[in-house]
Amino acid sequence: MICVQRTEIAIVGAGPAGLSAAASAASAGAAVTLLDRQEQCGGQLIKQTHAFFGSEKQYASVRGIDIARLLTEQVRALPNVEILNEATVLGYYQDDGVLAFEKDDRFQKIKPERLIIATGASERTLAFPNNDLPGIYGAGAVQTLMNVYGVVPGRRVLMVGAGNIGLIVSYQLLQAGVEVAAIIEAAPKIGGYLVHAAKVRRMGVPILTSWTIKMAHGQDAVEGATIWQLDEKWQPVPGTERELEVDVICIAVGLSPLAELLWQAGCAMKYVPELGGHVPVRSELMETTVPGIYVAGDVAGVEEASSAMVEGRLAGLAAAQSLGYGLTDAAGLIEEAQRQLESLRCGPVGEKIRRGLAQVGR
Amino acid sequence: MLEKTGVPTEQDLAGVIPPRERLARGPVAVIECFQRIPCNPCYTACKQGAIREFADINDPPVIDFDRCNGCALCVSKCPGLAIFVVDETYSADRALVKLPYEFLPVPARGQEVDLLNREGRVVGRGRVERVQNAKVQDRTLIIWVAVPKELSMEVRNIKVGDCQ
Amino acid sequence: MSNQMSNRMSNQTIICRCEDVTLEEIQNLIAEGLTTIDEIKRLSRCGMGPCQGRNCRPLLMNELARATGQDVREMKMPAFRPPTKPIKLGILLGQAGREENCQERADRGEGS
Repeated sequence: MICVQRTEIAIVGAGPAGLSAAASAASAGAAVTLLDRQEQCGGQLIKQTHAFFGSEKQYASVRGIDIARLLTEQVRALPNVEILNEATVLGYYQDDGVLAFEKDDRFQKIKPERLIIATGASERTLAFPNNDLPGIYGAGAVQTLMNVYGVVPGRRVLMVGAGNIGLIVSYQLLQAGVEVAAIIEAAPKIGGYLVHAAKVRRMGVPILTSWTIKMAHGQDAVEGATIWQLDEKWQPVPGTERELEVDVICIAVGLSPLAELLWQAGCAMKYVPELGGHVPVRSELMETTVPGIYVAGDVAGVEEASSAMVEGRLAGLAAAQSLGYGLTDAAGLIEEAQRQLESLRCGPVGEKIRRGLAQVGR
Repeated sequence: MLEKTGVPTEQDLAGVIPPRERLARGPVAVIECFQRIPCNPCYTACKQGAIREFADINDPPVIDFDRCNGCALCVSKCPGLAIFVVDETYSADRALVKLPYEFLPVPARGQEVDLLNREGRVVGRGRVERVQNAKVQDRTLIIWVAVPKELSMEVRNIKVGDCQ
Repeated sequence: MSNQMSNRMSNQTIICRCEDVTLEEIQNLIAEGLTTIDEIKRLSRCGMGPCQGRNCRPLLMNELARATGQDVREMKMPAFRPPTKPIKLGILLGQAGREENCQERADRGEGS
């Protein structure tokens, strides 16, 4: 028999949301098991070499790589958190509330009293001719390649997408000595922070809005790309084609929440384009429609890491509180987290998020 | 326009460039942050109380040019690398621009470098007067570069050639 | 868009890179009358590879919406079943499980 381990709160994913959830739940007194498929905690933070925005409460002005270290140290210092690295969660069985995972080449099971899903998101791809040529990457993949493994993807890059990921990865490519031929963006406006855009512009990289990729070229690998302009109705305009000689094409067209565990658990899901795809319907305490299952971070809606950390804190507190922990100060802490989320989202860049969140309230 | 090109317009800049009288008095910060985003480290970094406390964290920074002494503490704290210090009193024909820099090679003091504008175009040559790399800057260097005075509001980056 | 693509016979647009399913194959299946992610998945294996549809599902949904006029928000999603990533059958069976089975068979005198 495969014995079923038990824990009070299991958290899937040790990125900014999962680590923050572990810290807040365990600080309240709950026994926490944190599972992550990587060998180190931090999720996507471990490749974010740039400093973060937000306020001091969300580690503003600290580099993502250092936030990963700080959060991990904070969680490691808590005796009631068990961290399982290199543990890939394989499924959730809603009938008996068991989470199955693979670790050390073994199929293992854990039955938590509360479950927090903080699995993050995956990169979206694009359909265009020859999109399977070697040299075409997700921008996040390139960031991992460079900043985690120290490998540059090529010599000259076309970046597709001027959201924060496209802009930041372009800057980091330049830092690594890779040329960025252009950043193209299908939308009529730059989607990422304009200060990130200004950083790459003063390095001489053009940003072309209302442009998209038509096709990639190459025999055995990418040798070039054809881009073309889009009209106000987002339709390509024949005759505007331009050829770019590049050996790498980076796709930075957004993220989709990694929600399969939520589907398996039977959580009510809703397709909300503003939040990146299918996201769970949830309460203000981040509890899904399945009692005892909480969400935090990009899986609940693609947003900045600063909000992911606060959502994690909130979900951790709420889960611990529902088990009877931290009753004296939980209410105040929960209120504080909700206030922080509100302030992070209240500006114009949070407008889309607010529109999305309005659709998923429980 | 800025949101299409990533380059601020004259009009955008007019709102953040210190008045002529203030520039004539010595170093002062120019905060090229034009978008409402949730961010406030410039306020927490400023020891002079020159950057006003944010009522809403999404507000763009508001600087009191009379309080700002151009110390450049905010330059390496700004996650957007959007703050520069300009000293138009540096010499008769040169202004000093202190800019954030996160590239290799790091220029040496005294080295001549290409001066780039906000579009990355070379607009002249300048001399590196100092390279600040204190621990508190957390690997965002501040390069002090002497530029022709008329370019003080143009130069926002440098290109360091191969070491001589 | 599709006319221009079919003009370039050598150029393929891949929707599902795990299972090498092209846009043309998807379009042909839709032209044959398939209207759901599940039907297309079963006939083409689109979304059944190592990534379990994480990369191709959004592209497939867009193409279905474009070709059939369905609203992506209302589109019926396929079932999401464990395991979320491919694992070896040996791991699925489990070390402990295997030992026990051997023991059971030995107890019944069946040898191993």
